[in-house]
Amino acid sequence: MTAEERARLVEQAASAWRPRDRDGAVRAHPAWYDLDDTGRREAFEATAEIRWIEASLDHEGLSSTARAVLAQIGRER
Amino acid sequence: MALDLDEIAAALALGDPDAFAWWLARAEPALRRSLATFATHIDVEAVLQESLLRVWQVAARYQPDGKPNGLLRLAKRIGHNLAIDAVRRDRTGVRDFDDADDANTASIEPVEPDPLLRQAVERCHAELPDRPRAALEARVASGGASPDRALAEALGMRLNTFLQNVTRARQLLAACLERRGIRLDEVWR
Repeated sequence: MTAEERARLVEQAASAWRPRDRDGAVRAHPAWYDLDDTGRREAFEATAEIRWIEASLDHEGLSSTARAVLAQIGRER
Repeated sequence: MALDLDEIAAALALGDPDAFAWWLARAEPALRRSLATFATHIDVEAVLQESLLRVWQVAARYQPDGKPNGLLRLAKRIGHNLAIDAVRRDRTGVRDFDDADDANTASIEPVEPDPLLRQAVERCHAELPDRPRAALEARVASGGASPDRALAEALGMRLNTFLQNVTRARQLLAACLERRGIRLDEVWR
């Protein structure tokens, strides 16, 4: 895997979008499965950084993770 | 005075989603950190979202135990148990995670958003070039509802270009914050 390919996968895995299974349970991002341990650690850290930025820019202090959860419970439209 | 998220337990018991939003804003960073030990074994983002959904499901029945942040401690336990289940299900575990693991027994503290840090991020965000800012804003506006391919299409970008712009936004924000004495790779830890 090239550095460019890894960076692309890391950035995808750092998104808050996640697929759901038939029962509605949250599943892992497809890109996450293609990462090795180093890439998975990078994805975790990139996600934590970007969520902190998102929450800092949001008037309620909510990250896209929080927004995704609130959408699932019907608060976000 | 230490922050106790259980102060909104009564509102959560009534199923108030705005109270849950308030709780999420202060609980999420600590819960994510508590799952760091699993980062090479499971997709922490997926497990965290599932954990938070389960917290909402049990919040109406939650009874504070007299100690601060009981619901946060319960959320941590839910996340930890889901993470262990996922490790076992995928058979990717190279070590045995159990209830005695440090990640489950260490204390957990909520985080009150810092207005000064927030101001610094807003200023750095305003300095971003158009395309990185547009890519980052698309992610924020989507709130996890759409995959990157759809967000890229909406902006007229190829997926690779979109991802490069998100990365660039993060790097530029990190550099801008560092000039203001804030290390992005440290603030969330």
